[in-house]
Amino acid sequence: MLMIRAIVRPSKASDVMAALMAAGYPAVTKLDVVGRGKQRGMKVGEVTYDEIPKELLFTVVGDKDKDFVVETILKAARTGEKGSFGDGKIFISPVQEVYTVSSGVKEEESSVDDASDIVGAPVAVEKKKEAAQ
Amino acid sequence: MSKVEEMVEIIAVVRMNKMNETKRALSEIGVPAFSAAKVMGRGKGKVDYLLLKGAEAGYDEAISQLGPGPKLFPKRLLIVAVPTKLKDKVIRAIIRVNQTGEPGDGKIFVMPVTNVYRVRTGETDIVALS
Repeated sequence: MLMIRAIVRPSKASDVMAALMAAGYPAVTKLDVVGRGKQRGMKVGEVTYDEIPKELLFTVVGDKDKDFVVETILKAARTGEKGSFGDGKIFISPVQEVYTVSSGVKEEESSVDDASDIVGAPVAVEKKKEAAQ
Repeated sequence: MSKVEEMVEIIAVVRMNKMNETKRALSEIGVPAFSAAKVMGRGKGKVDYLLLKGAEAGYDEAISQLGPGPKLFPKRLLIVAVPTKLKDKVIRAIIRVNQTGEPGDGKIFVMPVTNVYRVRTGETDIVALS
């Protein structure tokens, strides 16, 4: 399993979250961060801003899903056609073990981020309501 | 690179209101040092179980609150770096105090750590953690 940490523009964070949801990776944690990149911050007139607000999104996925998820994030986080400075970075690190607290179960590779049972989705609730009638 | 095996970083996402108990439980097992942050997150969409129960029972109010997808919920992110031999102890402690059995209790991730430095003294690796 791999942890994917993506630093993106705050304005793009919701786009990325929506894209991940649509792609079937609902589980994401979001963290407000500030930072600077290779451009040494941003210079506006006389003032240099070197603590630029960003959002850090992180999610844990199976090894085989890595490329797809990274592609999804890149597509959603890029600004303009070719992208521009400040669009962010994606870091990937190995995860040895994953536990779910509610059940106390150690998760296996295959069960991480399996989106097939999103019961909270309005679609599922509507279906259930229809079936009950 | 045997160092890789010596230390692990445990990243846990837990409920906000369980922080005090978690802190106490970690102190009791001898791991007082950790970092925490307030984060927002979503899981597999089963988080707000009360709302879901209402929606499943067919209450329109609950259904209208569901929105286009699972919402972001406030959580606490814990980062604990420990020697590998304490790993299971920490995980069991976190699960013990945070488990309510309902969806939304959180996740625990275990990641390898290659190097640790103590800034004050410059000590490295396992010495810096103890």
